[in-house]
Formats: sequence, structure tokens, C-alpha cells
Amino acid sequence: MKQVAVTIIILFSALFAVAGEELKVGVKGMVCAFCAQGIEKKFKAEPEIEKVKVSLENKFVLLTFKDGKNLTKEKIKEILKDAGYEANFDEKSPEPIKESDKKPSTEKK
Amino acid sequence: MRLKITFLFTMMIAWTSAIWAHPVSYKDAIGLMSYNTPQMNEVLLTYSLSPQFAVAATYLRDSKSEFYIPRANFLLKRWNKDDSQANIYLSAGAGYEKFNTKNYGARLAELVADWESRKYYIYFDHLYINRDNEDNALLKEKDYNHSKFRVGTAPFLADYEDLNVWLILQAEKHLNESQIEMTQFLRFYMKNTLWEVGARFDGGWAFNYMVHF
Repeated sequence: MKQVAVTIIILFSALFAVAGEELKVGVKGMVCAFCAQGIEKKFKAEPEIEKVKVSLENKFVLLTFKDGKNLTKEKIKEILKDAGYEANFDEKSPEPIKESDKKPSTEKK
Repeated sequence: MRLKITFLFTMMIAWTSAIWAHPVSYKDAIGLMSYNTPQMNEVLLTYSLSPQFAVAATYLRDSKSEFYIPRANFLLKRWNKDDSQANIYLSAGAGYEKFNTKNYGARLAELVADWESRKYYIYFDHLYINRDNEDNALLKEKDYNHSKFRVGTAPFLADYEDLNVWLILQAEKHLNESQIEMTQFLRFYMKNTLWEVGARFDGGWAFNYMVHF
């Protein structure tokens, strides 16, 4: 009985540990904190978004979606356009995502 | 007719000026900017209806005159590059000048051009105000012109959540005066707040503040 309870707890923990899908989007023209703040605010307003991480150094925004949710590339382009910037899906980020980058700068509350 | 329009537009471009780098921001953004020296104060409140257009209001105090001018700010052109961004903004508005309890008509035009990367920054603005007031002995000219040119560099590169520090050198001139005022600034910004403290070469001070909501 005890083993069954432990197994159930582990399974539940694993369920909650599953992170939403992540997407890294390059952003052209994002060179200052004001730029980053606008981009972060725009993405945070989307109901599909769980977390937003902006990296000025690597010029990307890392989006973590809620489970089962996503945004199309067209929608992401539109959001960035509203913020005054351009999405860059084609080019790879100069550096791979580091573990420290994955720590969200903001979590939606 | 076309020549006249071109001429008027060219004159408008030539006259206009601005004190702030980003008079238009992202859609639905509210910006509050303030520029202060012992001789002059300016406050600009903006609301961006789109990334290209903002409605705004300027308060400006100079030489015992106070200007209250609603205005429209336009992003004429933005270049988004991988490592830099450049912008041209144009503003126009009409309001009034308060002097000795009397109100006089005043019209404003302003041009801003900037280029910035994470390491370097170049900025130009020109402010033009056409005034009906001829009574202020300290501001005799009906055309108020004020130009600024800035260059800046970041001594180290900071990311979004870090404190960003910039060193900036500014030259400014009122077109009706001969002297060019030079000011060195330390700029700090973090997330949505920017502030600058400046020391003029002739001993004066300056303090600027900017926040986006």
C-alpha cells in the first residue's frame, strides 16, 4: 500500500514537472532595456504564454507556453510588430540557450 | 504647389526638434519624460496608439514663459538591425504660452533622429516653437529654436534585468544665442526606468527622467 502511494506521488510530481513548450525567437532591433520591456509586456498579455525571458545579449525572447498552448509564427510576428520590432526566425541565436537563460525573467501571475 | 509643399515640409524638418529619444513607444505604452536644468524644465507625457503614432502633451518652462502644448508624435522610419536600431520621429502640436498671467498662442514642431547599439548611441533633436508672445523680454524672438546633439557609450554591456550605465556627452544650442552648452551625463537605466544626471562644463547641472508603463 505504501509503495502504491509513493508511486502515485511520484507520478503526480512528474506531471507537474513537465514544462510547457519553449520557443526561442530572435528579435531585430532589440538593443535596450526599454525595447525589451515592451516586448516582454506584449507577450505577457497573451493567454497562451506561461513565462517570458528576454536576453539583450543574445537578442532573443524565450517563450514558454502553457501546456497544450502555442502561438503561430504569424501571431508572434504581429506581437513583435506591435512592440515596434521584427521577428527573426531564420537565423540561429549566436549562442545556445544556457541553463541560466532558462530561468524566467518574469513569470505570469 | 508641389514645390510649396516640399518647401514647407523641408522647413518643418529643419525647424523641428525633440529632447527625448523615444516619443513613440510600443502600442498602448504610456511614457513620462522630464528634462531639467536650472534654466529650463520640460515634461512630456505620451500615449502610443500604435508603434508609429502617439498622442502627447508638452509642458515647457523657459525664461519665465510656460508652454502647454498638446501634440502628435510620429515614427517616420525605424531601421531594426541585428545589432542596432535607428529612428526618425516627427512631432507637431499647437497650444499656448503663459506669461505674466496672459495666454498667447504657440505652435510646436520637433524632430528626433537617433541610432543606438548596445555599446554606442548617437542622438539629434531640434525643437521649434512659433510664438505669438512678444512681451517677454527674456524671450524676444518669436521663433524659439533649441537643438541638441549627443554621443554616448556604455562602459560595459548589461542585460535586461541589470543596471545599464552610459556615459554621454551633449552639446546644445539655442539658435538665437551664440554659445554652445556642453554637458556630460551619467545615464542609468533598468527595465522601464531611465534617469540621467549631468554636469555642465560651465558649472550647471541637469537631471532627466524617463519611465514607460
